[in-house]
Amino acid sequence: MRSLASLTSLLAIATAGLIGLPSVAAADTFRFTAIPDEDESRLVERFSKVADYLSDTLEVDVEYVPVKSYGAAVTAFRNDQVQLAWFGGLSGVQARRLVPGSQALAQGVEDAAFETYFLAHASTGLEPADTLPDSIEGKTFTFGAKTSTSGRLMPEHYLRERFDAAPEELFTRVGFSGDHSRTIALVEAGTYDIGAVNFKVWDAALANGDVDTDKVDVIWSTPSYPDYQWTLRGDADETFGAGFTDRVRQALLSMDDPELLESFPRSGFIPADNDMYAPIESVAENLGLLR
Amino acid sequence: MMASGDSRPGLLAGDGIGARLARHSLWLIALALIAIPLADLEILSRDPWAELGRMALGLALPDLGAIETPLQAIGLTVAVAFWGTLSGVVLGLPLALVYSRSRWVRAASAGVRAVHELFWALLFLQVFGLSALTALAALAIPYAGIFAKVYAEILEQTPRAAQEALPEGTSRLARLAYTELPLAFAQLAAYTRYRFECALRASVLLGFVGLPTLGYQLESAFREGRYHEAGALLWLFYALIATLPWWAHRRLLLPLGIASVTLLGPWPEIDGGLLWRFVSQDIWPRALLTGDISGLVDWLMGLPALVTAVANTLLLGLLGTVGALLIALALWPLASRHFGNPLTRGAGRGILILLRSTPELMLAFIFLLLLGPSLLPAWLALALHNGALIAFLVSRHAHAIEPGMAGLPASGRLAYELLPRVYPGMLALVYYRAEVILRESALLGMLGVATLGDIIDDAFQMLMFDVAFALLVVTALLNILVDALARRLRPCEPPIDDPCLR
Amino acid sequence: MSQGPKDTASMSEAVDFTGLSLDGEDLGHGQQIVLRDVRLRLEPGQRVALLGESGAGKSTLLATLRQRLGAHAAWCPQHHGLVPQLSVYHNVYMGRLEHHSALANLWNLVRPLASCWKDITALCQALGLDGLARRPVGRLSGGQRQRVAIARALYQQRPVFIGDEPVASVDPHQAMSLLDRIDAQHTTTVMALHQRELALSHFDRVWGLADGRLVLDAPSHNLSLADLDALYPSATAAPDASAITSESAIP
Repeated sequence: MRSLASLTSLLAIATAGLIGLPSVAAADTFRFTAIPDEDESRLVERFSKVADYLSDTLEVDVEYVPVKSYGAAVTAFRNDQVQLAWFGGLSGVQARRLVPGSQALAQGVEDAAFETYFLAHASTGLEPADTLPDSIEGKTFTFGAKTSTSGRLMPEHYLRERFDAAPEELFTRVGFSGDHSRTIALVEAGTYDIGAVNFKVWDAALANGDVDTDKVDVIWSTPSYPDYQWTLRGDADETFGAGFTDRVRQALLSMDDPELLESFPRSGFIPADNDMYAPIESVAENLGLLR
Repeated sequence: MMASGDSRPGLLAGDGIGARLARHSLWLIALALIAIPLADLEILSRDPWAELGRMALGLALPDLGAIETPLQAIGLTVAVAFWGTLSGVVLGLPLALVYSRSRWVRAASAGVRAVHELFWALLFLQVFGLSALTALAALAIPYAGIFAKVYAEILEQTPRAAQEALPEGTSRLARLAYTELPLAFAQLAAYTRYRFECALRASVLLGFVGLPTLGYQLESAFREGRYHEAGALLWLFYALIATLPWWAHRRLLLPLGIASVTLLGPWPEIDGGLLWRFVSQDIWPRALLTGDISGLVDWLMGLPALVTAVANTLLLGLLGTVGALLIALALWPLASRHFGNPLTRGAGRGILILLRSTPELMLAFIFLLLLGPSLLPAWLALALHNGALIAFLVSRHAHAIEPGMAGLPASGRLAYELLPRVYPGMLALVYYRAEVILRESALLGMLGVATLGDIIDDAFQMLMFDVAFALLVVTALLNILVDALARRLRPCEPPIDDPCLR
Repeated sequence: MSQGPKDTASMSEAVDFTGLSLDGEDLGHGQQIVLRDVRLRLEPGQRVALLGESGAGKSTLLATLRQRLGAHAAWCPQHHGLVPQLSVYHNVYMGRLEHHSALANLWNLVRPLASCWKDITALCQALGLDGLARRPVGRLSGGQRQRVAIARALYQQRPVFIGDEPVASVDPHQAMSLLDRIDAQHTTTVMALHQRELALSHFDRVWGLADGRLVLDAPSHNLSLADLDALYPSATAAPDASAITSESAIP
């Protein structure tokens, strides 16, 4: 009988626990996230330093929230679990549509003219060129994440522009690696013949000596387009006090510690606004990734 | 002319159980063979062996120090499993009481059961964000449906005498508390315990969609090729499962559960407006809400690659089921006391337990890294995991069989003494398992395999919740349909009894 | 009477019972008829023994009586119908579940209600179950379980006792004392039995079932053991049958 009694008390405690706890709301901590666009090793460690910097500058508690996918970053932003996010071009547009009033505050110096590199495995025999060669037809191809601007949206846009065909018609197999580091790894390993990668991630991997250029190299780069940006929720001033938005923008623009900037990786931040991303929005709508 | 009764029977002819089941199995295998050319089973990576070598090295030399916050990840994994299961019990038990009487309850619990925990997590992620509430709801909702069904079955089988002795006018609640619950307590507890084990594995997998359980770091480490760290995490996972009987002791569970509550926070502030908008608008096609029929047709036509995804899901389900049957047939003697020596049996049991404890998604994920994203790694994962599970049960079942003829050679023992006794139950078990295999087939799409999970993940990534929801409904219906079909097709022999069947 | 708890309560409920008649009814479950054309009358104050081979329809008749009598009848089922996982106390308590609120019933599982505990332990003591109230029924002997089942029926505190072989698993001496206790607390008794001697010595009336009918309905003092043997045709036929088979087995 003791077992039944303990079951009853267990149920009582469980119910009390589940009802009682959600009311313990988190204090007003300012939280931010970043889309997981490359290897996330030590991501918490690296972004915690950014959090410390923001905390010192803004004089509020700041916390970094790690996420697993682009979608999760947007969802966290929409649910007010993060107030600030380092988004890609498309995910930023998605987020600002879902949270009216939110604004793009700053972009990386490189983001005003961002590019995507097309990589090819050495065995394909493809050479660097000014336009994509016809011979990429019939090869296998991988994008990065499904809603990545540099890994999916813009490369698909330029592929369609050049060949007037969907990627699925052009290539025998189209995959999504999930992030840019993985795209490089997959093309290097020959799992896919060709891949589309964020040029900053490629440059950083090259600088670190993480790639074997005998196996994989750049064959083409897209024209430039606007990409990553910091986006802040519209209700930030309400929650954290008047003028908070300006202070966040200022804190971002004045971030100059190379160790912090390496997390992104950018050489610095410059002002940005929502209108800069109109081209991204229209491309995404054309491709059916936004509606 | 010879009497017909004495003529030599043709190949696999006759009405005996053996011949009937052999024909049945061969048909099944033939069907799978016909389906194979339709499946995309290409090996895409150029050098899977080198990668496998690096993985094996990582597993052999795990680097425990490389894991970030292992204790917190384990704590959260256990807490989510514990509270998720308990919430499932709290929701499922009342449903079990009306299960046999209400068609709606039966339909609703079949519906929620048919959707995988991870899909539920993706759905709740949209409203509760990356929080423990998402994780708990993702386990509690499908488990409520499972508990409703299984508890109802268990309660139905309790002896009726005590209930009939109750004075008339006894309330339903008193009847439950005084007769049904105590009579069925041992069985209910055993099943709940088994479900907790499943919850533990599911809780690990929630890391794959971003909740910070053990799977979160496991996925990253494997994907980024940090195999020594991945190996350490994998061993940690196996240790957690293997030590379950000790740390999940009856007396320890309650304090453990209470202590783990603190790990579940921070709790999200639930935005009622957002929640309502999600439930009332976001998940329904706009054309449906405005009553625009032609718009709805356009919307339906616009559903991405549905036919291919459904076909691939069914194909993978069929191949996985037949694969599991063949793997089980090949592997069960390895762990059986009737064959080999203590060394081979020990190794056999070890392999079976390892494969059985590793969730399909995790196996598929690892194979996918090795072989590239075709149906092949998913097929391997489904066949190996489920085959090992069935083989394990069969070898345990065969343990009790005493061969009537002593001194038969191993092949004779297998073919004449053991297989005829275990095969009918084994085949029935495979049919029971088909539903689970199909649900997993849909899920594995989240890894990039071209099944339903792939386009569901697409829709969630693009925040097209109406599409995602519609696809989830399709997935659930497909699962219910295949379950019904398997019930019709399966041979009438009772399966080897095991709680995992339910 | 003086030892039983709440004797006055059971007496006050007894006022309502004015007898029960069956007038040529067919009894059974669902479509299947077990007993045909049953005519009988149960008078208040009667003690009736119900005899018949197993399968003759005793349980069917008792179920019908129990159903017709409703809240007048205390019920002691065949094979006890106890919950082995629960304690003696809780099993006895179940006799009066309907008298308490749902909350009280649930709380009683966590901690016994004080007044019920007092009544039930007293009842247990009177039935030779002293000190066993906390013990799970699953850990009792067959005879002890029998007494728990009787205690549960007594605890119902109703005027009529309906029992399906309630003294089957105790020795004759204990059976007598249990029957005395049952008599002391009930005005009217109907009990299925298989001890024929007991039926004649301890009951006013005997009902006998055979071939799907009520074939015997007479005061016990008019009956002899030989009369009762007629109700058990297969028991008497058995020696003949075995004789035939043993003969035919010899070529």
